[in-house]
Amino acid sequence: MKRKHYAALVVGAGIAGIRSALDLAESGLKVALIDRRPNIGGVLAQLDHQFPTDACGMCKMLPLTSRDSSSQFCMRKGLFHKNIDILLHTELAALEGDPGKFRASLRQRSTFVDATRCISCGECARVCPVHVPNEFDSGLSTRGAIYLPVPHAIPNHYVVDLDRCTRCWSCFEACPTDAIDFKYAERKDFRVVAALPDAAARTDLGAWLADQNFPLVLAEDGAAALRALEEERTALLLLDLAVADVDPEKVMRRGLELYPDLDVILVAGPGDQDRAEALIQAGARQWLARPLERTVVRWLDHHYIRTVSDVTHELEVGAVVLACGFDCYDPAQAGQLWGRGVVPGVVTALEFERMCSGTGPTGGRLVRPDGRPARNLAWLQCVGSRDPARGADYCSGICCMFAIKEARLARQADPEAQATIFAMDVRTYGKDFQRYRDEAESRDGVRFVRTRIHSIEPDPEADGVPITWMDDDGTLRREVFDLAVLATGARPPEGSDRLAEAAGIALDANGFAAAPPLQPARTSRLGVYAAGAFNEPRDIAESVIQAGAAALNAARTFKVHSPPREEQAAPAPEYRDVTREAPRMLVVLCDSCPTLRTRVDMPSLAARLGGLSSVVRVECVQGACSAPGWQAVGALAEELRPNRILIGACMPYAYVPRLRELGAQIGLDPAFMDVADIYTPTFPGTATPGTALETEVYTALAMAAVKLAGAEPSPVLGRLPVTPRALVVGGGLAGMTAAMALADMGHDVCLSEKAPRLGGMAAAHHTLLGGGDPRRVMEDLAEQVMRHPNIKVFTQSRIMLSMGRAGRFMTALATAEGPAITVEHGATIIATGGREVVPDSYGYRVHKTVLRQSELEARLADGSLDTGALGGVAMIQCVESREEPRNYCSRVCCAAALKNALTLKERNRDLPVYVFYRDIMSYGFSERFYTEARGRGVLFIRYSPADKPRVSFGQDHRPTIAAFDPVLGRELRVTVDLLALSVGLEPGDNEDLAEVFSLPTGPDGFFREAESKWRPVEFLRQGIFVCGVAHSPRNMSETIASAEAAAQKAARILAHKDVVGGRVTAQVRHSLCSLCGRCVSACAYGARRIDLERGRVEIDELLCQGCGSCAAVCPNSAGVLTGFKDEQVLSVIDAALAEPTQPTEATP
Amino acid sequence: MTRSPLTLAADPALADAMREVRAMLAACMQCGTCSASCPNAQSMDMTPRRMWRLVLLGRADTVFSSGAFWMCSNCYACTLRCPRGLPLTSAMNALKRIAGASGHPALARHGAFYRAFLDNVRRRGRVRETEMMMRYFGAAGPREALRFTPLGLRMLRRGKVRLELGAGRWDTALAPLFESAARLEGKEARP
Repeated sequence: MKRKHYAALVVGAGIAGIRSALDLAESGLKVALIDRRPNIGGVLAQLDHQFPTDACGMCKMLPLTSRDSSSQFCMRKGLFHKNIDILLHTELAALEGDPGKFRASLRQRSTFVDATRCISCGECARVCPVHVPNEFDSGLSTRGAIYLPVPHAIPNHYVVDLDRCTRCWSCFEACPTDAIDFKYAERKDFRVVAALPDAAARTDLGAWLADQNFPLVLAEDGAAALRALEEERTALLLLDLAVADVDPEKVMRRGLELYPDLDVILVAGPGDQDRAEALIQAGARQWLARPLERTVVRWLDHHYIRTVSDVTHELEVGAVVLACGFDCYDPAQAGQLWGRGVVPGVVTALEFERMCSGTGPTGGRLVRPDGRPARNLAWLQCVGSRDPARGADYCSGICCMFAIKEARLARQADPEAQATIFAMDVRTYGKDFQRYRDEAESRDGVRFVRTRIHSIEPDPEADGVPITWMDDDGTLRREVFDLAVLATGARPPEGSDRLAEAAGIALDANGFAAAPPLQPARTSRLGVYAAGAFNEPRDIAESVIQAGAAALNAARTFKVHSPPREEQAAPAPEYRDVTREAPRMLVVLCDSCPTLRTRVDMPSLAARLGGLSSVVRVECVQGACSAPGWQAVGALAEELRPNRILIGACMPYAYVPRLRELGAQIGLDPAFMDVADIYTPTFPGTATPGTALETEVYTALAMAAVKLAGAEPSPVLGRLPVTPRALVVGGGLAGMTAAMALADMGHDVCLSEKAPRLGGMAAAHHTLLGGGDPRRVMEDLAEQVMRHPNIKVFTQSRIMLSMGRAGRFMTALATAEGPAITVEHGATIIATGGREVVPDSYGYRVHKTVLRQSELEARLADGSLDTGALGGVAMIQCVESREEPRNYCSRVCCAAALKNALTLKERNRDLPVYVFYRDIMSYGFSERFYTEARGRGVLFIRYSPADKPRVSFGQDHRPTIAAFDPVLGRELRVTVDLLALSVGLEPGDNEDLAEVFSLPTGPDGFFREAESKWRPVEFLRQGIFVCGVAHSPRNMSETIASAEAAAQKAARILAHKDVVGGRVTAQVRHSLCSLCGRCVSACAYGARRIDLERGRVEIDELLCQGCGSCAAVCPNSAGVLTGFKDEQVLSVIDAALAEPTQPTEATP
Repeated sequence: MTRSPLTLAADPALADAMREVRAMLAACMQCGTCSASCPNAQSMDMTPRRMWRLVLLGRADTVFSSGAFWMCSNCYACTLRCPRGLPLTSAMNALKRIAGASGHPALARHGAFYRAFLDNVRRRGRVRETEMMMRYFGAAGPREALRFTPLGLRMLRRGKVRLELGAGRWDTALAPLFESAARLEGKEARP
């Protein structure tokens, strides 16, 4: 078998997998994207709403340049990119070889439905007698054994769940296109030899298998079996270990000798099971218990279908990205602890998301199990997280935010809804999370209760879900809720151990992929990377960043390790000029599907279409979507040489790449071709056969025809040559990581740092939570950067001026010595970092007993602090953080406090350490250190922002901290020797830079990315990327991930010779334009501006995404969109209204 | 904060014992699961959560001046539900043991009922309520007896209290159990 070559294999087509694949594909590399599910999208396929927008927004990940190489429709429906091959229902079975040339074996399980034939009419599902919980609705609805995995995919084909299928053949008979294939006819080639000494067993088996269509040879002893094996090719040998005359092992060996792929199935009684196990080692497939039951028929049937239908793919790949995501914790694992199955109205967060969905089982209404509206809702946090007793000594990191989002959604769905969130800590550690939470509390009235709900106990008297908890003051409270939502945490994906074995990587104690410190995208195996939540639970934004980092590492591995391969750049197709010709349209109708043929009179339809002025020929072909059908279309086009082609078929989206191929073949611009959907109207249940239906189909075609008749050739694509150099602003950890990554990929990099030395904020760290030597890492990195031949470092430099756009910027740098330098570069990375806040409170800068955490860390590291002599250390968290004006969590301060507290306890076990905190933000795997700190006796005292700790100082400057302890219900006073303040991070002086590059900043002064979830390291202005603390506070590992993600985005531009725009773009008719500027503010992509010098509206054709907003708002019709001119749109409307249905046959 | 007249810190054996209890509870994060699960929390003068907090803060005096841990009935609900998997029931028992072993009258005050109960079980093989209460009043003093008088009279009126005197058929039935426990404890010889 010839192996297919790919630069990378991405395992898992959830959000992270898609992001990694797109990142690689956009930089011109070939990617294989696989998922074991029958659909792409991962868990996000089920989620309709993401905060902060409370909408989906996945499509924002689609490429903005060269966008014609990928699909441009809803990404939850599907994804197409010319560099990505997607294999669904496929798992990684083995991975051998070395980085650069791995050999990957993929096992693709068959769906038993021929995708080229299935037209998704749904007849099969209607007749299926099976009803099992539907995974897509989290079990809130049912599906058949043949079903649509997700309702919205395009193209969407039914799949058979073989384990649930009863093989009643109803669907097989119901399918109008014979798409369902249980390999009935091929069974005659699947010869079964059964060696059973027991005559009754032979008779039974013969009778059971009578209508299964298998050639069956029954042998009464080993000798007969050997004869049967030798006389004809056999696929399966059923061998009873009790055959007396010949040793069964000998029979088996002979069989395998004759046919190496023979399936040997042993039949063993209680006495010879050990023998059977031993023979499995020697080549048998499995063993069944004697005596054989009737169920063996079903078993054999499944075994046969799997064996002949499943396929194995062998690929050669440069690198592997594992993006297998996570599974939601199943609360049923804890039995009835959370009332699952005993208390109605207890739902998981995923079930709640489905209830909120308009396409969900309740159509978006929140209802109790008894059907009444659910008004009083509770969220229970940490179900399956932060629970070492149940094997999760980590925080899932996502549940607090999705619970707040769901609480707000509930309020949107029903303004009377009351939401209560029960949580120990509300972990709002991400960018803008704190404000989102504050808004939920103040605006939406979401109630936060500080407690952990231990269980939900059934109470037949209660009208709903009774929840009992203990208040801070010790009173037991009880409330009855309409719905209780379990904020279920993240667990490693099911089967991650199998995958780890196949991919040869190590898992950590929690079952996620193990990552070396400060190498967030790495796994234990070189060349295999982890994206998304596969090595630590993460939210969307962080998963997208992590995916970018994994993609970068994969691309780098491919670049460094893969043998150079001849790149055959596909020649740009040449199209003949047809603008001067009158439209000559070929109409091809695909009429293979019986739904159309039986309901519509094809000759009359063809005749009516032939009457259209531009149509020169109407032809019917069989199965345009299949290879022969498409060849027929090609042959017709070759013969007729039309200048317009209209195809009437199903699922127009699927034809985009084919039209492009056809265009190259006959030299016709694909802008002159279109596919109209003529099948959807014919689906059973949507229309009755007759003239009305025929008219509907005709109208669909006529509308497409008139639109095509007025089509214009694609404009010459906007192209801008790329300067193959990147400018990185900021020489800290983020900047240096990004620079190294780009330089390793062979791009030139200019690194500008305002300080005299490289290093930035991270260089001040001495220790890391969980071990590691950050000083070494930073020094090594700085040295590598200085010595790299592709990197030019400018220290003590400042950006003065920058202009240009993606692909070519001109930037002026002022340096300490000499005149300003002008740098020409294709991409820009902003990595200007931030700094630690210098507080004004708690006696800092007055008493030297008050330190910042970084200063305590330094004193612990250089040994100037004698921990043995200390009488006590106190720490105060969230100093001047998480309240206005710095209303954000800085993420790193809780970790710093834990790190220092643990060091103190390590050096002096009995040293009292007090931590005054609001919410401990030990998200993800850092929860372990929180547990450890508690375990070592660090005392944590919670305070509320309304009642902060009060610090007073004695004569000897020793601080005394007084704070109200909610658990004791009274004030606690401690006098200590040192007070460490956990101050947050604040952005550097970003204003100047923001102005130079015209970039937006957020309310806290950090740079504002294009989209918080889907484009976290990009700006709306293309070609400029942001990473590290300049984007938002993050720790070293997260900084590295974001820097690598930003570098990957920059590499995406630098890898190409030109930046290419899209086919559909807006234009301005300057003579009609009155410069009112409405289109400028309407443009969501910042592609328009008024050029005051020339007095006209200019469009950046690379930025323009062809959405048409400008054309819609323009009062003078001066804004036009290629392919959607007014004349075209009006004639489409005319065509739609041209032939109204005859009143006599109108559908009721 | 009121401090009890006890100076527990002066007692090194007690300090050691309390350190052991502290080690059992160290990872506690005051989530309140134990307190909301405890069926006897209503009878305690402080919730288990607060008591753990005090143990961790080293306020043994306050812990022992309360009788909360004596109310633990060893149902293990808290231990089963604790997300940190802490041995809370054992910690409760450890506190009982410390209070009982110290011999300090102030420490043992709240244990009188507990001891009267066990003593009665040891001698009678079951609980004879009247006899047990008599002995309890003997240990706890006349004020306690007066406090219970209204309840006792009400119970007497309803025939809930019987005077059982003399030997019963279960006397000494459980004695070997207690002897064996005493033997084991003697072997362990706590400091």
